[in-house]
Amino acid sequence: MSVSITCPVCGKRKGYEFRFGGEDKGAKPEESVLADPAAWCDYVHMNECRAGVQKEWWCHKDGCGTWFCIKRDTVKNIEVK
Amino acid sequence: MNRLKNLPTLQIDPEKKISLRYKGKSYEGVQGDTIATLLYANGIRVFARSLKYHRPRGLYSLDGECSNTLMEVDGIPNVRCENTPAREGMNVKAQNVLGSADRDFMAFMDKMSRAMPAGFYYKIFHKPASVWPLVIKRIRKAAGLGKMSPDFDMPGAYDEIYPRADVCVVGGGPAGMCAALAAAEQGLRVILLEARPRLGGSYDYRCTQYHSVSGDRNMPLCQRARELAEQVEAHPCIRVFAHTFLTGVYGGHVLTAFQQGGEADHFTQRYVEIRTESMVAATGCTERPLLFENNEKPGVMQPGCAHRLARTWGLLPGKTAVFSIGHDAGIEAAIDLSDLGMEIPCVADVREDGQDPLLLAELEKRQIPFYRGWAALCAEGGKNLKKVCLSTLNGKHQKNFACDILAAAAGLSPLTGPLTLAGAGLKYDSHSGFFLPEDMPENIHAAGHLLGYEYPPAIESSGTLAGLWAAADCGVSVQNAVREISEEMAALPGPLRGSKFVCGPVSGKKTFICFDEDCTLKNTDQAMAEGFDVPELIKRFTSAGTGPGQGGIPGHNLPLYVALSQASPDSSPRPTTTRSPLTPPYLATYAGSSHDMSKRTPVHDFQAASGGRMERVGVWNRARRFSQNQSPKNKSDDATARREIENVRNNVGMLDASTLGKFRIFGQDALKALQRVYVSDMSRVSEGRMKYSAMCNEDGCVIDDGVVTKCGENDYYLTTSTGRAGMTAEWFRFHSRYEKWDYHIVNLTDAYGVINLAGPSARRVLEKITDADVSHGAFPFSAYREFSVQNVIPVRAMRLGFVGELSYEFHVPSSFMPSLWQILEEAGKEFGIQNFGLEAQSTMRMEKGHVILGSESEQRTTLHDIGLGFLWHRGKPEAKTVGASALAHTEKQKGRLKLVGFKTENPADGVPKDGAPIADDRIRGYVCTCRYSYSLKVTIGMALVEDELAAENTRLGIYTNDGFAGEAMPDSGEYMKYARVVPMPFYDPEGKRMKM
Ligand SMILES: [Zn+2]
Repeated sequence: MSVSITCPVCGKRKGYEFRFGGEDKGAKPEESVLADPAAWCDYVHMNECRAGVQKEWWCHKDGCGTWFCIKRDTVKNIEVK
Repeated sequence: MNRLKNLPTLQIDPEKKISLRYKGKSYEGVQGDTIATLLYANGIRVFARSLKYHRPRGLYSLDGECSNTLMEVDGIPNVRCENTPAREGMNVKAQNVLGSADRDFMAFMDKMSRAMPAGFYYKIFHKPASVWPLVIKRIRKAAGLGKMSPDFDMPGAYDEIYPRADVCVVGGGPAGMCAALAAAEQGLRVILLEARPRLGGSYDYRCTQYHSVSGDRNMPLCQRARELAEQVEAHPCIRVFAHTFLTGVYGGHVLTAFQQGGEADHFTQRYVEIRTESMVAATGCTERPLLFENNEKPGVMQPGCAHRLARTWGLLPGKTAVFSIGHDAGIEAAIDLSDLGMEIPCVADVREDGQDPLLLAELEKRQIPFYRGWAALCAEGGKNLKKVCLSTLNGKHQKNFACDILAAAAGLSPLTGPLTLAGAGLKYDSHSGFFLPEDMPENIHAAGHLLGYEYPPAIESSGTLAGLWAAADCGVSVQNAVREISEEMAALPGPLRGSKFVCGPVSGKKTFICFDEDCTLKNTDQAMAEGFDVPELIKRFTSAGTGPGQGGIPGHNLPLYVALSQASPDSSPRPTTTRSPLTPPYLATYAGSSHDMSKRTPVHDFQAASGGRMERVGVWNRARRFSQNQSPKNKSDDATARREIENVRNNVGMLDASTLGKFRIFGQDALKALQRVYVSDMSRVSEGRMKYSAMCNEDGCVIDDGVVTKCGENDYYLTTSTGRAGMTAEWFRFHSRYEKWDYHIVNLTDAYGVINLAGPSARRVLEKITDADVSHGAFPFSAYREFSVQNVIPVRAMRLGFVGELSYEFHVPSSFMPSLWQILEEAGKEFGIQNFGLEAQSTMRMEKGHVILGSESEQRTTLHDIGLGFLWHRGKPEAKTVGASALAHTEKQKGRLKLVGFKTENPADGVPKDGAPIADDRIRGYVCTCRYSYSLKVTIGMALVEDELAAENTRLGIYTNDGFAGEAMPDSGEYMKYARVVPMPFYDPEGKRMKM
């Protein structure tokens, strides 16, 4: 957990205080769309796993409890602007 | 041995004696000794035997660069004795010896070195293949350092600390201290790490005169060290971690280290993890070993080691010391040791020129012969050094000198580990002969001796400059100060030209390039003859640099030697890779302390006093059951909690259920949030009624169940299972993260306690303590009421039936819990009220077919699988309920494990354990919970089984290895118990009892 993360409420804190919430895939599609198992699998389980900068969700679980997005360089494991 | 006295550099207190045990004898030293200096003071010269050849090894360095002084201390193997402080009563043992380090019965291995060429592990014993399993045992026995018993209990206390800094400086020598001061002067928070027990670095043990740039400050270097150290230690913005070893650098801004605890510290070792904006490496240099025959014989040591032994610990390393060096610090050490009383027959310097003329004049003054362009070729003697053969670099002229100490180094080697871990690429610098960083990552800086600076004011200025750069990384404007110090540096001597010499014309058979792995120059030559041309590969093949010293000794020489030996035009040396941990900490340090953090409910003590067997359940301490007979005569009691169960079924019992997750959710969009995470239609939750529902994840797997009620407009109160309480608020917020909903969720788990009052007499107990109408008509099953107990305690009461009897849950503020507990005990006395615990609860709810998630479900269990599919309301697609799509996909899926109830065929077989596999010719499922039912006089349980086996009356085989009863399986000593699938609930199927 060498990553440090900037919580919009509490500021920059060590990574241990946060929970990873996955890549930012946008809001969940309608149930009618997800009725197709392939579409459901795409949304729920498929990830881009980008080597580079990606936008992702984090929760400040040991702090204020907020869910928010950051951009992280997954190669260097550091938050970027 | 007599210690030198009254040196300003000493770090010992001769008045305070310390003794430790070694080889069954007691050895005395003084406060400030390391284990190695204490033993050295007592005449111990052989500390260990080498890994492969069992050659005697002595004190060579003092900062843990090699395994020569790894010993077993108080049962802990591989302790670095040269920098581990001696403590009273320590028990020290030599390692890798059969007998003792002095008389090792494995010493004949040295004569067999011809049989163990480089890479012999890879090449020999592989054919024929049948031999290998036998040989591997022998090799494993001979290989490895140190022994540890499997049940060894690591002594000591281990801690961890996570400080945050603007600037972290690695190395507390002059450059590091100046860097720290420069950054701290800008008001930044600075952390300074120093591996030795105190600040000072290369100044700390030297009495050479220091002259400041302005010329107005003149004093010995050791005094200058104290002056800087005092400034650093007094600075409010600097935190010093002394005796702290850097292990890793991550992402350029996280530094990991471990600190060795001193006598007054509360820890033996502690893990230090620093987050910083900027880092300065000012780690200085170590001495690069000189390669010659028997270059690791006891008596051969680094000049700095000899120098520090005398200056810091007051120990002259021997009587007569020959110096073979390649750097000015070596000449300085020879002069100083001569002044302190050693005989110095000569100083040989591999350099033809470039020495500090002042030092040469001092040598001359003392009539110490100085040999330019000479180096040691061979060290001779038995276990200890007797004489040294010096030679011109081409080997043409040779001369022997009798001595007991040979202080040898080929030059200097910068300690670049922290820089390479931070991502700096190293490149060979032909001026200094160092591997120096060529492309520094952002916010990483280097300073001081490691860049080649040797002139003290230049070292300090380079530190100051790096400190200013680091300050600039933190957004401080330092342009003027940088300009000033840069101008000052331009006028000072720059990095000195370093010696690149590696070895003279030696045979290489006993010339060790790596002490830890017993790797010689000859082995290296063999590797190159095999075709390995890159140091990284040669390192793997010969194992040079893979030992405990992690390249401390061979790290610099191996690439230099390889480059020298290759006739290719591009023979610029390439370094091997440094990896973390730079210095190995104890595994215990990574494990950290075991602070057992657990919670107690407000009525913990009452339950313990009533004989409650408290045990850990997740983060909580809960009563498993209550001892039935506390008389000293009869200690036996019943793990099945029969008495507690029968009392609830016949009279009334009370259970502390405070660990339930409890939440308030309110706001105009609260209902939307409930609809999103609960599978049921939550718009039907009404005031005064409880609704039971469940939560699934997106896979449709059930993760939680509980009840919800409405307390007011847009205001709900809900419970979750104990284990999910910590996750629930996060779960709600995660699944509404894209919505701009206006609602709040508050975790009340610790703010409220819960008492479950259950049994046919429960209502009569309740009637006694409240004026509210709690009759069946006024407070029916599944209702929610708020009233007060004894007109004081505000109670949220729910009429539920988890254990299958008339029962109430009282939710009260935690501070009222002890009072309510006592009131219920008092009121219930006439009805025979007793405590019941988790065991009784679990049996009774199982008799009712009620699930506990985690017992009757696992990761892949869906709502359908445990028969709760009816909770799912499919008519609310606009809610985008979590898991709804997957529930639709899996509704009719075949091949899943389904929850069934079963009854064993023969109760006399005993009760299968929870988790026992259900099998025929293969495993078909497993038992979730199984108990003997005192209410029904049969053994019943719940199991997850393949859907083919879920039909009523199917015969299930339960595999057990409890060794009794059941049908024995042929030849195995294992047994099958048999059961039949039966409908649930087992007990009171119509639910009359909880609705009475
Ligand atoms: Zn926060």
